[in-house]
Amino acid sequence: MAAVGRLAGGARLSRPRWRTGLLLALPAIVIFAALFVAPLFTLVANSFRTQTGAFTLGNYARFLGDPFYRDVLWNTLKVAALTTAGCLLVGYPFALYMRARSPRVRNRLALLLLSPLLISMVIRAYGWLVVLGPNGPVASAFQALGLTPPQLLYNDTAVLIGMVHVMLAYMVLPLMGSLDRIDPTLVPAAKGLGASGWTCFWRITLPLSAPGMLAGAMIVFSLTASSFVTPAILGGPKVKLMPYFVYTQATTTLDWPYAAAIGFVLVVVTTGLLLGYSRLLRRGNGEVVFG
Amino acid sequence: MTRLTRLLGAAFATLVGLFLIAPVAVTVASSLTATSYVTFPPQGLTLRWYGEVLAKPEFLSSFALSAGVALAAAALSAVVGLAGGLAIHRHRFPGRAALEAVLSSAFAVPTIVLGIGLLQWFAQMGLASSPFTLLLAHLVLTVPYAVRLVLAGLSGLDRSAEKAAAGLGAPPFLVFWHVTLPAVRGALIGGAFFAFITSFDDLTVALFVVTTDLQTLPVRIFNYMQYDYDPTVTAIGTLMVLFAVIAVVVIERFVGVAKLFGADTQERS
Repeated sequence: MAAVGRLAGGARLSRPRWRTGLLLALPAIVIFAALFVAPLFTLVANSFRTQTGAFTLGNYARFLGDPFYRDVLWNTLKVAALTTAGCLLVGYPFALYMRARSPRVRNRLALLLLSPLLISMVIRAYGWLVVLGPNGPVASAFQALGLTPPQLLYNDTAVLIGMVHVMLAYMVLPLMGSLDRIDPTLVPAAKGLGASGWTCFWRITLPLSAPGMLAGAMIVFSLTASSFVTPAILGGPKVKLMPYFVYTQATTTLDWPYAAAIGFVLVVVTTGLLLGYSRLLRRGNGEVVFG
Repeated sequence: MTRLTRLLGAAFATLVGLFLIAPVAVTVASSLTATSYVTFPPQGLTLRWYGEVLAKPEFLSSFALSAGVALAAAALSAVVGLAGGLAIHRHRFPGRAALEAVLSSAFAVPTIVLGIGLLQWFAQMGLASSPFTLLLAHLVLTVPYAVRLVLAGLSGLDRSAEKAAAGLGAPPFLVFWHVTLPAVRGALIGGAFFAFITSFDDLTVALFVVTTDLQTLPVRIFNYMQYDYDPTVTAIGTLMVLFAVIAVVVIERFVGVAKLFGADTQERS
């Protein structure tokens, strides 16, 4: 009987009153209400204001009406799409290679993939400035071959190289998740029935890894569209991307309402994609969770 | 055929590996150059640029600011993350769903948008920029990761161990200290180190929150790069890489780096 009483005590442990929960969650709630929700609301509110504070839709009208800013939006989407394609092109074979390794090697490779994300962004971008710069290894390789080195910095190509470098992990890891879920007996079965290696890849592996590709593509696209540091350092003002204009409008031009509007358009573009992605995940049995 | 594919695969993987380490390897190597401009391969061998770093007081004060804010962010994220993770994992309370939604959308909102939002919000509140406001801003970046890791740690904990301890008469605090906490210890240490590097490396948010006399190390480097192209930056870069390597070793030991990014590369059962 006493044992039953104790068990009941144990059960109470698993169903505490809501007050304890609220108390424990309070610091996080306060931080995110005051420093995340409130700033974002302020931002949205400011984007509908003139510099003097009156209500206006002018900031958005200006963004969508100005060919220069339409070009910025277009270029942002273009660079994000090219980065996604680059990650897929490099990442898919790399994921296949990783899958065939032992768990130990696999773990090492994953760490290698993630290493760019753990190094300071400024230093990483600076490293690319050196690699692609006039005194860097790429330029000297061209000179050694007797060729004039191409202009590799301060253009879309530089941004693309730098972004594929950081984003590769976000493509490969979901892809690995998808590849791992493929029934390992499918390919040998198809081979036994006479299918060639190429057919197996085309008809089994590729279609079954589509969820991972899609997940990776959405993350890479939206993170690239919203990244600031790498494009700012490698592309500079010549590469017209939205985050860069959020920054210059806020700190140089000091047009805060307009900066807010550009920022909000950016949020709509990127989070719209991520929301679609998490909806997809919930429908499938996705294990790789982003956010 | 299989041998050829294997060889091609290895060659391709090596190329990707080179691509991944190129910027860091080149930065470290060129920090040793004797020339007064950055070049790779380095010419000559000198530690002069490390001396230059130490001779620049503005870099040292920026380092102190960054390290201080990052340490505070790490400690606070661990505490807030543990409490928040526990609350979400095992309690029902008003606002729980909202908190979860906000925490996960924090991963999705572009950092630059958060930066400019904080800039305008702080201005509206009349909060002048200080190490404290920077710390507050960084918590928004680090706490979601800490909560995510704590939740992962808690989901691996068998609740019957806690019930057994409580059933044997242990008061709640002792149950927490001896059963619950050890289960999330790795998550806390890993989360704290990750919070440290996130805060220490952040440029995007800091650019909006700081002023000219309050520059974190990344902001200082970013501004220095606009005007100077001498190897000092490569020397600082090397030191920062060293810092990150230590943090990564610790994170890998306690939680696994891949888990931070929501993926698990360990073999599935």
